[in-house]
Amino acid sequence: MPLSPAVDPVGACSEAELVRRARKGDAAACEELAVRHRDSAFFLALQLLGNRDDALDVAQDAMLRFFKHIHRFDVSRPVRPWLFQIVRNRVLDMFRRRKVRKHDSIDAAQEDEDRADLQLVDESVDLERDASRNQLQKRIWLALQELSHAQREIIVLRDYQDMAYSEIATALGIPIGTVMSRLHGARKKLRKVLQGNLEDYLN
Amino acid sequence: MAQSSPSFDEELLSGFLDGTLAHREMQRVRLVLEEQPELRRELEEMRAIRQTALSTRFAPPEPTAWPELPQTRASFFSRSLGWLVLCSWLLVVTGMALWRFLSSHEDPLEIFIVLGLPGAVLLLFVSVLMDRLSTLKDDRYHRDVHR
Repeated sequence: MPLSPAVDPVGACSEAELVRRARKGDAAACEELAVRHRDSAFFLALQLLGNRDDALDVAQDAMLRFFKHIHRFDVSRPVRPWLFQIVRNRVLDMFRRRKVRKHDSIDAAQEDEDRADLQLVDESVDLERDASRNQLQKRIWLALQELSHAQREIIVLRDYQDMAYSEIATALGIPIGTVMSRLHGARKKLRKVLQGNLEDYLN
Repeated sequence: MAQSSPSFDEELLSGFLDGTLAHREMQRVRLVLEEQPELRRELEEMRAIRQTALSTRFAPPEPTAWPELPQTRASFFSRSLGWLVLCSWLLVVTGMALWRFLSSHEDPLEIFIVLGLPGAVLLLFVSVLMDRLSTLKDDRYHRDVHR
């Protein structure tokens, strides 16, 4: 008798179906949801905090809260914005409780750079261009840590997470018209911090 | 610093870069960009930052760094029920033991020696519980999920 290929049913499930199954206590559905979203939660926390250890704490806590309150989640909506909202709230809580200081964040970012946590995915054959881009990525990452939390947050949501203006407005609880002005202010500040570092890349 | 025309709102550059402007505004920005090399430079720098940020990839944590499977609703209810039964049992047994002890002993010193320690532990437990409940009430997350 020919063996049928092993199929993991949760792997092919839509997000809404996974959430429905997770609510009923399906451990495989919970595991699949966790695997799909936990790294995104970690990356957002890392970009907002600039520190891997704190980011992991926040992401772990956010995932636990996500599952604890999954029965309140509107299945018709995507998981990512809801999870991001939880991560953002945990980050704000961390800033409020621990008073994360700016220089701590910069030091942590420098350590991250030293540990080569940034990794390129662009496998261009132009090695010189790749090296230049890699340098610029690190410079932008460090410059980002010098911005205020509000400025860094909006740059992260738009330029790192590629969220639409409407999604950013919802996430930050601000009118959509304010997104462009706040984003532009943050971009100007980032350019100012990066002054001179963009020359090599652009020329 | 770019020397833009007095009527030109520089914020439109970000909208132009992100493609969120109306057709008429896009045309207007294009015209201004043709006239002002400084603004073109500013736009190119913002574009470079955005493209570089988008291409940045961070190493994810090790899979073992994540906690065990999250608590599901079913396990949450069974665990809650277990705690409820356990607490009820403790309450009934303690109440019965207390009632029997008090009805068979009248010496206040003897009562204090036997009940002083568990009474103090109970008071400490209640104070911690009240702190926890107070923290829970101020948790912004609970407000957010109900929005």
